[in-house]
Amino acid sequence: MKNDTKNKIVTISFITILFIVFVLNIIKKDNTISVAERRKLAQFPTITMEKIISGKTSEDIDKYTVDQFIFRDYFRSAKSLWSNYLYRQKDNNGLFLKDGGIYKIEYPLNKANVKKSSEKIKNICDKYLNKNNNIYFSIIPDKNYYLKSDYLKIDVGEMQEIMQNTLTNIEYIDITNCLQIQDYYKTDLHWKQENLSNVVGQIERKMHLKTTSPLNNYTMHDLGSFYGSYYGQLGMNIEPDRINILKNYKIENIKTYNYETEKYANIYDLQKWQTSSDKYDVYLSGAVALMTIENPEGPYGKELLLFRDSFGSSIAPLLLENYQKITLIDLRYVSSSILDKYINFENQDVLFLYSTLVLNQNILR
Amino acid sequence: MVFSSITFLYYFLPLVLAIYYIVPSKCKNLVLLIASFLFYFFGEPIYVLLMAFSILITYLFGRLIGKFQDTKYAKLFLILAIIISIGLLVYFKYTNFLINNINLWLKHKIDFIYVVLPIGISFYTFQMLSYLIDVYRKQAKVQKNILKLAMYVSLFPQLIAGPIVRYTTIENQLENRTHTMEKFALGVRRFIIGLGKKVLIANVLGKLVNTFLASSEMSIIYYWLYAIAVMLQIYFDFSGYSDMAIGLGKMFGFEFPENFNYPYIAKSITEFWRRWHISLSSWFRDYVYIPLGGNRTSKIKWIRNIMIVWFLTGLWHGAAWNFVIWGMYFGIILIIEKLLLNKYIEKLPKLLSHLYVLIIVMISFIIFNGESTNQILQNIGGLVGIKNIPFAMPESIYYLKSYFVVIAIGIIASTPLLKNIINLEKFKKVVTLLEPVFLICILFISTAYIVDGSFNPFLYFRF
Repeated sequence: MKNDTKNKIVTISFITILFIVFVLNIIKKDNTISVAERRKLAQFPTITMEKIISGKTSEDIDKYTVDQFIFRDYFRSAKSLWSNYLYRQKDNNGLFLKDGGIYKIEYPLNKANVKKSSEKIKNICDKYLNKNNNIYFSIIPDKNYYLKSDYLKIDVGEMQEIMQNTLTNIEYIDITNCLQIQDYYKTDLHWKQENLSNVVGQIERKMHLKTTSPLNNYTMHDLGSFYGSYYGQLGMNIEPDRINILKNYKIENIKTYNYETEKYANIYDLQKWQTSSDKYDVYLSGAVALMTIENPEGPYGKELLLFRDSFGSSIAPLLLENYQKITLIDLRYVSSSILDKYINFENQDVLFLYSTLVLNQNILR
Repeated sequence: MVFSSITFLYYFLPLVLAIYYIVPSKCKNLVLLIASFLFYFFGEPIYVLLMAFSILITYLFGRLIGKFQDTKYAKLFLILAIIISIGLLVYFKYTNFLINNINLWLKHKIDFIYVVLPIGISFYTFQMLSYLIDVYRKQAKVQKNILKLAMYVSLFPQLIAGPIVRYTTIENQLENRTHTMEKFALGVRRFIIGLGKKVLIANVLGKLVNTFLASSEMSIIYYWLYAIAVMLQIYFDFSGYSDMAIGLGKMFGFEFPENFNYPYIAKSITEFWRRWHISLSSWFRDYVYIPLGGNRTSKIKWIRNIMIVWFLTGLWHGAAWNFVIWGMYFGIILIIEKLLLNKYIEKLPKLLSHLYVLIIVMISFIIFNGESTNQILQNIGGLVGIKNIPFAMPESIYYLKSYFVVIAIGIIASTPLLKNIINLEKFKKVVTLLEPVFLICILFISTAYIVDGSFNPFLYFRF
């Protein structure tokens, strides 16, 4: 090929790409949300003189052109592939692929935040609980904990130590040995409900509860494919997970009560399964500040206050055999200072069950 | 607006190119002028007026200097013009720095003023000064058409990050320039390579630099990783911008001067500065160093001249002491080289002389990138394990592995190795065949990185 021909090809290709992309971007209908990234996309900004002068319009237009770029998800995948396979980078925007699973770097251990989280729990105990309450706490390791040592991960051992040093009067339930890497979804941060029998067993033992066997007491129902939150963030094409729910005749008849919406729903919210961008919301309808589950067939008067994050949604149904009522409190969405307006603190069992991801962030209110 | 943005690449550029090539020749300059003002307006909606004012002042004083050429008034007008231009630069860039330093000595502190640094002011001020001084020196003709002068100053390819184009370099091109397929293709090639350097190397390493700065898990390896990453980031960012500017210039028929010439292969700091930010160092040489007497004076004055130039070079990069120290550091090393070291450096094995330059430059960029004296000393001391820091920690090992390939690519690409291989006769056919594919791939992947919203800093906001 002669230089002239090469120059023509370079020029024509460049011009063609620029103009085709320009035209496609102009005629393409704007999307409102990105399903893969689970977020709203920037829309064309309203332009005012004030915004122009402050430079806000320019910023908004830059965000808009990036968010509404044609074939955005394909470009994001291409970037991810380049970063992973050509650059051999161990992570892409903090996420990485290992043995078909997606992981997010949560590092380092933020000792100050963990300390604050533990103090928050201690304050709740001091303010609301008394010697009639059996109080326990447990830490759910993020799935990176089970990776080999050359990946950056939170030092769960040190986190346990910090928590135990503050919560000296509360019994700690160690569940780190009850889980393995395959007990977590490949495309999501959460654990799988159907793999929690060891964890449930450990909690029951430590809390002196009747031993139930989730695998014998329930039947497993496969709801379908599950693309977890890491899937869209990484932008790489890998096999989705499947979401299973453990059911029996009791669970099917039990309703949850949401204090915010003042509505009742099923333990497994199949409407959320259909409509929500996060299919994990099928468990107890996803993020809810305050919720109760009442089991009429449970041991009379036995109650559990479960201070939890999203991991708690899938394990709570499996603890129902031992309780007539479970109250789930998510301190990320409700302030601990107003709990006595909704909860009558008496002689309930109390379990603080939080993942390392939450404790490391100091987001308990 | 920055070149490495979707707004520029896929909206602004195709529109400007289309209009530019559709309109008749006599309207092309007007199209470029309007485009340049829009480009600047997008990033600096208010300061576009300041740029217009500066252009007007430069135009008027240029005319006055021309009119009173060979009289004492010409010098007076030149001095006045310089005072106004430098005055504006000082006001917008250095006032708070000055107040901060004066306040150190005052009991009753002076309040800071609210002023935002206009992007590119250092670049266009220096361009305007070069025009005025060249007119005064009769090295350039007075530009009687204000639109052409405005276009020279505001030309968007080089407006916000250089290179600093002298008026004399493109004086003729403002009137007549050729547009050929070959030139356009060369421009595209240069632009895409610059984009790749910025997005695929500099930005990626920039993320490592920021990760290091936010970390508390220090180790000797991590300090070295940071130092190398900073060095490569700054080079690929800056030279990438210059490549994009030169490439865009060619697309619109201009020939801008080269700004970087593989600086990291230099064998002395003197040579390094002949290869790094060439347009700035030559500007200071021609408009400050030589007028001060250059080296044709006593040794003391010569040393003074060098230190003045490097003090100003440092200050030009930002209104902070780390930039001043950075400039003075180079000034001192250049003096030592010229007085003592050059004869020894010449005898050194190549490898050692390269190593000497790389270490000096690496330390300089730690200073350049430092936020405080403490941080700078810590980052330099960390290289030799000061305060008994460990050799390696999990985080440093992780990022060493994670960035190994990018750093290796960066090191290879900062030498002329690839260029030399490509230019080999036996590879010519393959290279010709693959070049368009390679360029499209780089454009595609750079776009993917930008669309992903990856780290994309603008390093010159302090210049």
